[in-house]
Amino acid sequence: MVTVALDVEPEHTHRWIDAAAPTHPSLIDTTHVTGELFGFVNIPMAVWIDEHGVLVRPAEGASIVRSPLRDAEIPPGLPERIDRAMREVQKMPDHAESYRAAIVDWAQRGADSPYALSPDEVVARSQPRGDDEARASACFELGEHLRRTVGHDAAVPWWREAHRLHPANWTYKRQAWTLVTTPEGATENDLFQGPNDVYDGNWLDDVIALGGGEAYTVEPRL
Amino acid sequence: MIVTDLDHVDPAVFAARTGWEAKAEGMCRGEVCVPAPGALRDDGSLDVRIVAARLGMPLVTDTATGIHALGPATATGHALSTAVAADPELITRDGNPFRLSSLHGRKVLLVAWSSY
Repeated sequence: MVTVALDVEPEHTHRWIDAAAPTHPSLIDTTHVTGELFGFVNIPMAVWIDEHGVLVRPAEGASIVRSPLRDAEIPPGLPERIDRAMREVQKMPDHAESYRAAIVDWAQRGADSPYALSPDEVVARSQPRGDDEARASACFELGEHLRRTVGHDAAVPWWREAHRLHPANWTYKRQAWTLVTTPEGATENDLFQGPNDVYDGNWLDDVIALGGGEAYTVEPRL
Repeated sequence: MIVTDLDHVDPAVFAARTGWEAKAEGMCRGEVCVPAPGALRDDGSLDVRIVAARLGMPLVTDTATGIHALGPATATGHALSTAVAADPELITRDGNPFRLSSLHGRKVLLVAWSSY
């Protein structure tokens, strides 16, 4: 097991890594290059790599524990947007149990596992990528580079363009949104990522626009 | 891939970032090779414009700074051109470089997460 955090600010990951005290390699990807190279478009997602460095499953949703949010009772009287956000979260497909079982099967049986795919299947099942998606990747990377070398404002037009070109890429959007919706001095990133003055989108409205919670994750085809 | 000078790109740097290597057959990644005549100049540098055109890599430019970014290949219509795993340089919690290739010989479940 290796974890990789797609976070342009590595220190944002430290409190989570320190709390987990992992015994496995716990890595940070400050440019989202793994999104480009493996096809991660949301989190959590995972790829499986065999002993020879060959992918046997492409990037897909990788929850292994059912989130308690999915079954939480939604209390009456919540602000409308929070209530709606919780309802969309509860619509998200859950494959945690079957995905975890598939991992265990592969760990035990390797290439004999039915979940280990052929190279052709891996490529064919990887995320679709046409010119818009590839251009979005270039725009996101350029924005990240300019944010680091020039300043945050220099990134914004490029990240806006990445969002426009590849609306189903949630890491591009969530990364950008949280940097403008998290209050200054907050100890952790804003996860709600509501309407803001910098970007056209926000988490809840974009989830609804792209098909609701049902369409939010890349479901593993097990 | 960030490119500051389109006329002088080191093929080794290009390969390390994108996984595509300049070979006699063309631009290769894993078992996949795409002919790219003229891509490798006599001075040993890579003509990124030719490579981009052959591999379907979009190029975007920030006119204020003159910095370019080259997007990933679109040759297969998918995020992956090959099942050979890419090997980007990542960092550990303490900022030390780490490559997935250091784990060859072991199965790797690579899980992406974020703080947001």
